[in-house]
Amino acid sequence: MKVNIYEFTDKNKRDSYLLILFFFLALIFIAWLIGEIFAPDLSLILVIFAFLYSFFDTLISYFYGDKIVLASVGARKANPQNPKEKMLIDVVEELSLAAGIKMPEVYVMPGSDINAFATGRDPEHSSVCVTEGALYNLNRSELSGVIGHEITHIRNYDVRIMTLIATVIGIIGMLSYMLIRSLAYGGGSKKEEEGEGWLVLFAFLMALITPIVSRIAQAMLSRRREFLADMGSADLTKNPEGLASALEKIKKMNEGKLNVSESVSHLFFTDPNKSPLDELFATHPPIDERIKVLRNL
Amino acid sequence: MPWLLILGAIIVVIALVIVYYINQIQVLSNQIENSWAQIEVQLQRRAELIPNLVNVVKGYAKHEKEVFENVTKARTAMMQATGRADKIRASDQLSTALKSLFAVVENYPELKANQNFLALQEELTNTENKIAYARQFYNDAVLRYNNMITTIPGVWFAGGRQPKEYLEAPKEERAPPKVEF
Repeated sequence: MKVNIYEFTDKNKRDSYLLILFFFLALIFIAWLIGEIFAPDLSLILVIFAFLYSFFDTLISYFYGDKIVLASVGARKANPQNPKEKMLIDVVEELSLAAGIKMPEVYVMPGSDINAFATGRDPEHSSVCVTEGALYNLNRSELSGVIGHEITHIRNYDVRIMTLIATVIGIIGMLSYMLIRSLAYGGGSKKEEEGEGWLVLFAFLMALITPIVSRIAQAMLSRRREFLADMGSADLTKNPEGLASALEKIKKMNEGKLNVSESVSHLFFTDPNKSPLDELFATHPPIDERIKVLRNL
Repeated sequence: MPWLLILGAIIVVIALVIVYYINQIQVLSNQIENSWAQIEVQLQRRAELIPNLVNVVKGYAKHEKEVFENVTKARTAMMQATGRADKIRASDQLSTALKSLFAVVENYPELKANQNFLALQEELTNTENKIAYARQFYNDAVLRYNNMITTIPGVWFAGGRQPKEYLEAPKEERAPPKVEF
């Protein structure tokens, strides 16, 4: 089946917005539950506390997140004296021109697996980083496909969206935890006396379920953004085969032993920690599916 | 008194809308000029790279006179061209000539291993691609600009500006060529 690049993009965008909407509904829902169970003044303090905490947390990751991530994976600036790295710099320059964004800073990180990621709060402050494995195993058009994918992430403000979502999930998790704790220690007794034990039970269940559902929704959102970035790359380079062939190589060669922490793995071009685990929680669509879509454009 | 306030608010909103559209038209027009400037920089850079390339290749492939002549001729034609459409047309001819030069190189394995040559090849690939991408962006910008000044409400603020012309895509392929020499 032929896939229309623009229809596919629109569908993914719609899904993204729906998922983002879901997060805010989930957040309001949890806050509402707390308000129902406890005295409103208390819940207000809890919510304010949670917001403040997450606000500062987000602020730090907003302004220094890129530097932290780059340092944590051991990235260094690409060196134009090295022919391979010169080619990388050129490709990044070309594709940022194509996308009409400021050229991101270019980094290289150690590791024989083929992978890449983009970071930075907006197109004005962004960086692209590829592994040495990508540098030495991909040819120019494959590398262009991968960089086109990363440039699209930057242009779509994906890092910002995913940071925002991670923050909201943090708040949801924290509120749910507080709810569970206070319920477990009899905080809901006031309502129970009023014969509303069902509400307490309901709240308890919801507080357990919401964080899990949020994680699944986060993974879904991440997969949507990955597909959008693949489409964006195909549109920029006008050569979906380059990206498809890069994915093919990744499938064949990557051993899933890139040394990066779980907390930054969602940033990468393909999942660096190959966990055959639950598809539900996967931050990336299956490689075969990505290849199939690209080849059908 | 409230009537005055409401009237004032309406005037402010209208003023803001007018400012927005006038600025937006200018921003789009600047985008077009900016991407043209990018294209010119790359055309210039390519023209500067070519004599070096020809010299390096000549060292290994003396007998391919015709190819060198074509490239040199196309380069001169491009440098003499005036006007955007002419420049782009001449640039496309130069791309074709370069392609045949790089095709010839395939027969000279020693040349393909020459560091100097490889660096020049990457530089030229880079300029070729940048020209192609900047052109793509130029045409997108022209589309946005033309839409803005020919549709309501933009047309009210266009002050009689005329739609701009697209840079033609090379005939053989509608999509800009991605070069890999």
